[in-house]
Formats: sequence, structure tokens, C-alpha cells
Amino acid sequence: MASEDEEFTMLFQEFYPSLCRFLECLLGGRANLAQDLAQESFLQLHRTAWGTLPVGEARFWLYRVARNFALNEFRKSNTRYRLFDRVVEVMTPRTRNPEQEYETRERQQLVLQMLDKLPEDQRVALLLREQEQLSYREIGQVLNVSESKVKIDIFRARTALRESWAKRARAFHANASSQGTVEM
Amino acid sequence: MNCDFTEKISQLIDGELSEVEAREVQRHLTQCVVCQEARADFLSFRSEISNYNPSLHPASQADALKRILGQPVEQPRVTPAKPKLGWSWGFAPRAIAFASLMLIAALVGFIVYRATQNKETPPAQITQKNPIPVFVPSPQVTPNNHEPVHTAPPKSDSAPAKSKQIRRMSPLVRDGSNIAQVQPDADTTQPSNTEKAGDIQALTAMHLQKSELLLRAFRNVRVAKAGGPVEVAYEQKLAQQLIVRNMMLKREADAAGDIQVASLLENLEPILLDIANLPKRAGTDDVRVINERVERKNIVALLQVNSTVLARALDDD
Repeated sequence: MASEDEEFTMLFQEFYPSLCRFLECLLGGRANLAQDLAQESFLQLHRTAWGTLPVGEARFWLYRVARNFALNEFRKSNTRYRLFDRVVEVMTPRTRNPEQEYETRERQQLVLQMLDKLPEDQRVALLLREQEQLSYREIGQVLNVSESKVKIDIFRARTALRESWAKRARAFHANASSQGTVEM
Repeated sequence: MNCDFTEKISQLIDGELSEVEAREVQRHLTQCVVCQEARADFLSFRSEISNYNPSLHPASQADALKRILGQPVEQPRVTPAKPKLGWSWGFAPRAIAFASLMLIAALVGFIVYRATQNKETPPAQITQKNPIPVFVPSPQVTPNNHEPVHTAPPKSDSAPAKSKQIRRMSPLVRDGSNIAQVQPDADTTQPSNTEKAGDIQALTAMHLQKSELLLRAFRNVRVAKAGGPVEVAYEQKLAQQLIVRNMMLKREADAAGDIQVASLLENLEPILLDIANLPKRAGTDDVRVINERVERKNIVALLQVNSTVLARALDDD
């Protein structure tokens, strides 16, 4: 039992942060909810599946369950955590210099906004690829879809991100040039 | 501007092409500007997405692990023998006895509290029974100054007696224009216009206290009756009553810009909903899940702190 707990602890230490990151990106930056769902996923694993899963499967199992939890949250379409998340964010002590912090936050917010516009299956596939470095086959295993669907989803997600980025860039330049005209 | 190879670029950067295909695409890449740009963009997005930092603190991670490992495992991996009756009674009989006593005390307290709340009493009695002062406009209003003066009702036995006058705190009634007396026959569980005009802060403090008591009692229910169906009809009913008030007070806190109380009430709401939606004889698992969430959010402590702060603010005035 002790060694099982040790193994579980190792798995937790290794994957909990990345599961939180995955869920946070999936949920549009709702950090508190992401951590709750990550905990629920590990709790579920510990209670029900730990010890019965083949070696190496636990990680995929976790991401599958976490994604299902996130889908449930989407269905509920609740906003109850949003304010609390913001309060926590405001109360979080800052360690880096404020400018750097601000810049990072801005960039992360932009990434989240752009990801948020993607269809859910494309977003999950892309996050699993870019953050977790899973192969197409492994992603297919997690999402229970074919490899070719994963391939297409990831490509479409990237193309959509490019278009979204180009649109933002055009809007930014148009805005900048119109401001320049006014000033002149 | 698109190129037929762009999809292959996506697979190339993922290492999903065969050697032959990869060589072909790389050859194409040296000549095609569109694909070069696509590759650069894809890699740039990869860098942004993979560098995303979750808002995660090491301490909370350690707490989460402790909580998970501290949970009882549902499916024992060893062949289950006969039920461990000796676990609870043999392990800590005193603790179980103490928990049962606490539960009974909490239940009796609730029954008495509910009885006093539901009883139709004249205004003077209502204000006397309330643990938190309910403000009643004084009949002696200074003619040139219409600021209302409110008398604080004497507190219950457990609270220190209060004799000094208390002023309203809520911005809704600061000018004294929309003050209304609490109606003796008003249903205190339903938000009404009278309550809205009443002292929101006092109502909030009282609501937080009630919620805290409910969550404490709910936690004890789990401890006392683990292993079988749990009788939660009373807690459920109380939660149903508190939900309506919770929503109303959250709106008021939002309107008043009181972000701390608003976020607390916002966190409380789903828990009240979960308790209210439990079946009459809920399973221990249902109760445990709710209690875990309460514990994780540290709601009970937050309720206690906030109700105390609000009550003190009223005392100071």
C-alpha cells in the first residue's frame, strides 16, 4: 500500500501541474476551477482506477477524465467561479517585476482568448499536442477518436489561430493608422 | 495565400511524417515562402501555448495531494473481508461519542432556531430573538436632520447585550429615504422589499452565520452516520431556504461593490444548491463529495470570519 501511494505521489507530482495547465487553458483561464477539476481527476484515479490500469495508461486516463469534467462544466455554463478567480488573481503575490508580469499576463490572456474561439475538440487536441507533447495516436487514445481526425483537428486549430492572429494584427494596424490621422 | 503543403507542415513540426515524406516537405520548404511563414507561425503558437504558466502554488499542490491520499479508497484492492465493524468503535469510541453528542447538540440548536424563526411574533419579539441586530427606525427623528436613528435590539443570551444605537451601514439606505420597519409577519426566508430596504449588512451577517451552522451540521452528519444512507432532509430544507436569500444578498453585495462578500456568497451558492438537491436519504458518498468541496474552499472559516467582521462593524457603529 505504501509503495502504491509512493507511486501515486510520483505520478501526481509529475502530472498535476501540467493537468492544471491543460484544464486552465481549456477553461479559458479559470484557474481555481481548473485546480478543482484536476484534483477531482486525481481523486477519481486514486479511488477507482489506480492499481488496475496498465502501466503508462494512467496519464491518458487522467486527461480523458479531466476533459470530461471540463465538458460537464461547459454544459453547466456557469459563471460562478469567475469572480472568485479574479479575486484570487488580484490577491496573488507578485514575484516578478510588474512590467514583466503585466506583459506575460497580457500575452497569456491573448493566447487564452484565441484558444477559447476554437471548437472544443480542436482546442483539446492542440493543447495535448503542444503542452503535453502527445503523439497523434496518443491523443486519439485520450479523446477516443481516430488519428486522422486528430491530424485534421490540429491542423485546423493552427490555421484558425493564424487567421485570428492576422485579423487582430490588421485591426491593430488599422487602429494605429486611424489614430495617426487624427493626430495629424 | 495557401499552399497544398501547409497541412504537411503541421505534421512535420509534430514529427508525424515518415522519413521520405519529411524529406520531401523539407525540400519544398526551402522554396515556398508561404510554407515558411506557416511553419514560423505554427512554432510561434507552440511556444506561446507551451509556455503558458498555470496559476498554481506549490503549497496548494501539496495540500491537494494530502487530501487525495487521505481519502478512503472506494474499492479495496485486497479481497474484502467482512465489514470492519471494529473500525469505528474499536478505534476511537470517545471520538465517535463526542461527534454524536455534537451532532445532537447541533440538531437541537437548529430545531430551536428554526422554531423561533418561523414563529409569528410581534416586532419587539422578533428583534429580541434575532442574534444580529435588525434595525428599526426610531420614532424620534430630529426635524432638521432626517438621518435615521436605529435602536439595537437586545441580543440573545449567547451574544453580549447591546444597548447603544446603531446606524445603517448599507448604501441603499444611507440617506434614510427608504427605510422601512421589519414587518412582524414577513417571511424571513423570502427576500422581500422590506428586507431590501432593511439593513443588508445585518442580514448578510445573519445569513453567513446560518450558512456556517448548516455546513458545520452537515459535516457532522457525515461523521456520525458514515457507511449507510444519511438523513439530510432537515439540512436540505434549510439549504433551500438559504439559497433564495443567498442570491438576493449576492446581488446586493455586487451592487454595493463589496467584492469580498460577493465572492464568498458566489462560492457558497453551488454548495447550498448541492445540499438542497440531495435526495431525502442521501448516500454517504454524496455527502462526502459536498463536504470535500466545502473543505477545499475553506468556506466554513470564511463564513465565520466574514460574519464576525460584519457583526463587529455593526457593533462599532
